[in-house]
Amino acid sequence: MLTLYHWEPNANSGKPMLALMEKGVKFDSHYLDLLNFDQHSPDYLKINPNGTIPALVHDDLMLTESTAIMEYVDAAFPGPSLTPEDPVERWRMRWWMRFFDQYFAPSLSMIGWQVFVGPSVRDRDPELLKAAIERIPLKERRIAWSKAIYNTFSPEELAESRRRVAVGTLCLEEALSERPWIAGPTYSLGDINGFNLGYALPLAQPLLCNDEKTPHIMKWLRAIYARPAAKATWTMGRTQMAQRITFLES
Amino acid sequence: MLELYHGEPNIFSLKPLVVLQEKGLDYTGHYVGPLDFDALPAAVKAVMEVRHNPEGDGPVLVHRDVAMTESFFIALYLDDAFADVPLRPRDASGRWRVLMWGRFVNEVLAPSVTTLGCHKHLAPLLKTRNRDEIAQRIEAMPTEERREAWRAALDDTYSADLIADSRRKIGLAIKKVEDALAAGDWLAGPAYSLVDIDVFALLAPVPALAPDLLDGTTAPRTSAWLARVRERPAVVAALAKSRTGAPQESFVPGPEHSRWG
Ligand SMILES: N[C@@H](CCC(=O)N[C@@H](CS)C(=O)NCC(=O)O)C(=O)O
Repeated sequence: MLTLYHWEPNANSGKPMLALMEKGVKFDSHYLDLLNFDQHSPDYLKINPNGTIPALVHDDLMLTESTAIMEYVDAAFPGPSLTPEDPVERWRMRWWMRFFDQYFAPSLSMIGWQVFVGPSVRDRDPELLKAAIERIPLKERRIAWSKAIYNTFSPEELAESRRRVAVGTLCLEEALSERPWIAGPTYSLGDINGFNLGYALPLAQPLLCNDEKTPHIMKWLRAIYARPAAKATWTMGRTQMAQRITFLES
Repeated sequence: MLELYHGEPNIFSLKPLVVLQEKGLDYTGHYVGPLDFDALPAAVKAVMEVRHNPEGDGPVLVHRDVAMTESFFIALYLDDAFADVPLRPRDASGRWRVLMWGRFVNEVLAPSVTTLGCHKHLAPLLKTRNRDEIAQRIEAMPTEERREAWRAALDDTYSADLIADSRRKIGLAIKKVEDALAAGDWLAGPAYSLVDIDVFALLAPVPALAPDLLDGTTAPRTSAWLARVRERPAVVAALAKSRTGAPQESFVPGPEHSRWG
């Protein structure tokens, strides 16, 4: 039995989705609507008590952490390898996945929660929202939801996140100007990770990321979206968020 | 040839030193003191993964002309490249557990231990130096994150809230280690592994930094495990690289606490 609990092909959910698709591994998809707080429902908390997505259930194992899940998927199932043979490339793949997960993504995510997640749910019944926040198991996620719903981000933290997104974009452009894929000559989990983080960058940050300023990022995004596995993954999205990816066809 | 730029055998530098010893690998070590700002060759300093090293001033391994940073990933690299003495489970679920520990250590434990360590040891050390000279060094650092981290040490601006939160996170880690050790002697399964090295490197200084959180009474299994790891010949050899005689008092700023997540 293999079941992936996920939301849209985006950020953390999209990483195991695309990795499974690239390997051609069949899995049961269990969609949770993050904006409807499905991830905090009692049924899901029985599976993942932290109430975060994604989670992968493989027989009697329950796996979390999107990047670690990808490495698990690549090691546990047959299909094309998504981890380079060369140990140096492997090191570089992991280094960049940490950079994406712990430097770039949190800043991009903070902006996304301020401009998109907060406004998408804010107008609901205030009592319901209050109860929804109280049900969240992890302190960090409770703080995130409360900031998004009540829009209590400080100008300083938003400015700092924008600064980091700009730094991250420049670093990524520099790396991709030296090699075709993030780890080296081989397409890997690092590219899958980076694509989920960055596919919408040219739409969200058009002044930072575009054909003139970041041609290597643009080429890389288009090359990944041209892969059949990426196309198939993004058709699993149910919202406008996933559909906007088609701009990469041009 | 393997070359390692490392500081006192503590925290991040301790990990590759132990792994190299465990595997019996020949290498050239370059000792970098906490305030040796010019130790890395320019060509190494220029590499993006060195400039943006999430561990800031952590160790750098140079092999096959590639400069590699991030102590846990260096350990994984050595285990991938020199597999004769394996330090990880081979199966996919065992490897997933190793990665989960690595993430927990770098996200929760490392920022917290280095916060306490810098407050207690680096800040007072900096006070004994010429402030303007240090400030100039800080301004020349490659990223805003590093400059911020060093300014905090120079001015000792670690707030009571940050110290309390760091202690809370260290407490979480000790609880996790106590729970894992209920099942056996080592953290990631029946055998000693990279996880033991990774967690040991961060917890070894904690009995001195926060004695109330980690001693034989509050965390008996963790204390016994620290002693078990410390007895390993590879760990003894790595700790013997100390030049100060007090490696567990040597700190430079570590990775940031998460801002959002
Ligand atoms: N580091 C974890 C983060 C998991 C996580 O926080 N995911 C977000 C969605 S991308 C989530 O579950 N949010 C749900 C919530 O905050 O309620 C991973 O990479 O899987």
